[in-house]
Amino acid sequence: MKNRELAIVGMGLHKWGQYPDKSMAEMGVVAIQNALSDANMSWREVQAMTAGAYMWISGCTGVPGLLTGTSITTQLGRTGIPIANVVNACASGQSILREACLAVASGEYDIVCAVGTDKSAGGFFRPQSTDAKFDYDYYRYAMTGETNPAYWAMEMRKRMSIVGTTEDDMAMVKVKTSKGGVGNPNARYRRAFTKEEVLKSNMVCDPLRLYEICATSDGAAAVIVMPLDKAQKYTKKPLRIDACTMGSASYGDPTIILTYLSAYPRPGVLPYSESRNAVQAAYKASGRKPSDINVVELPDNSSWHYFTYLDMIFDVGYGGSEKMFREGYFDVPDGKVPVCPSGGFGAFGEATVAQGLWQVIEVGKQIRGDAVGYQITNNPKVGLAQSYGYAGNNGVAIISKAW
Amino acid sequence: MAKNKVPLVEGLFTWPAEKPRLIGSKCKVCGSMSFPKQAYCPNPDCEKKTDNVEVVELSNRGKIYTWTVQVYPPAPPFKMEPFQPFPIGMIDLPEGLRVLGMLTTEKVDFGADVEMTTRKLFEDDKNEYITWAFQPVQK
Repeated sequence: MKNRELAIVGMGLHKWGQYPDKSMAEMGVVAIQNALSDANMSWREVQAMTAGAYMWISGCTGVPGLLTGTSITTQLGRTGIPIANVVNACASGQSILREACLAVASGEYDIVCAVGTDKSAGGFFRPQSTDAKFDYDYYRYAMTGETNPAYWAMEMRKRMSIVGTTEDDMAMVKVKTSKGGVGNPNARYRRAFTKEEVLKSNMVCDPLRLYEICATSDGAAAVIVMPLDKAQKYTKKPLRIDACTMGSASYGDPTIILTYLSAYPRPGVLPYSESRNAVQAAYKASGRKPSDINVVELPDNSSWHYFTYLDMIFDVGYGGSEKMFREGYFDVPDGKVPVCPSGGFGAFGEATVAQGLWQVIEVGKQIRGDAVGYQITNNPKVGLAQSYGYAGNNGVAIISKAW
Repeated sequence: MAKNKVPLVEGLFTWPAEKPRLIGSKCKVCGSMSFPKQAYCPNPDCEKKTDNVEVVELSNRGKIYTWTVQVYPPAPPFKMEPFQPFPIGMIDLPEGLRVLGMLTTEKVDFGADVEMTTRKLFEDDKNEYITWAFQPVQK
């Protein structure tokens, strides 16, 4: 950050899974308690909080779900601090981390907590109203039946036709990423998959199969941000926040972004512009280059995402990542740059509001050497975590070793 | 007696019509197109005046950009009765818009010519509720 160097001093998770009898606030308390404990800090020391606002409120949680952070303090204890609840769909994690960073970088606060807690378990995501007049997400969904995997599958089919990605490549994404989940105590699915198993799994949206698409999960994550020069009091292993950025889509993006019914492609505008804008902003703000990155957590909602995000993160052009992938560049745990060593969304499942922070925590654990049971072998110093959100919004964090 | 065919959501395509068309909007200044129609031109460099935007009927023909098949029933509020796995695609219209819609068949290819039609989603005592769909152009 320009005004002040920032550090993550505490990281906490609530294990991913399905918890029908636990409230989001309860899971949020667990994540915050774990982050505070990691930082040897008390809740009373936290001066402000940014929280991800839950999206799937029509079926459960209602307004308290929107006011997630405020709800959490009814159980954690009200201390009167400012709490902002932010809605950025699946990119909420980096969005709220960014808000925490801006709050500390401004000099207004020294200790800020970012928290995301989520109960997304339960299948295809869906619109939250039946308003045929103003909810374009509703009429897109009701009139075309487009689910998220259908969008990913359409893009994957196009990519296969242009790049030559094979069904084997797609299955191998799951084979490689699932390895990391086996040793990760916070993962929901802790088993390694074989290529044959993946290729035999049911077709969900041709060409994407069941094991090539992530589940939806419950989970929570929290991070404590403070100035780097004060971090030594709380941790021996501060993680420098090199950049935490967001991107929204550009006019003329040729893909039909989820929740919309059309695109108006313009010459020279590349697809997935919100993701490009976010990652390019992160490189610019941090002064880092793709070749500086030692570990990546990306949104592997499906095999399509995996390749598409690697193209953008490593700036290798449309279809550039398949070759590197086949050569083992991204292997877990021993590639040149391991990708999704945590097990990724494949092993965790999407917990929309919490997942961006969880990705940052997983990158942080690898840099700290704390990923017991799933530590990567390249002694990483710099890592990148990127999340993709509905309707054209995206977040990226780059963090690095600062001790 | 045949039931009335009614669009599940009104105002997205012309109906009743022998050759239904999607209803979009166009900026009279820069030519930018939108579907569904919207009040303002989507171009960030274009003046934000609702008078600049006119409602237009889009071409009822286009080409397949890409497609898939939705095998499992999407959760409510989507409703198709009886449910059948359905193809869905992105279609390039000659105006430059890329639009989403169901297809009548999965036996299509990249660049294939399609035209707009309608299909049933479900029915009640009075009406049959329909949406738009694209079918291969009959040669």
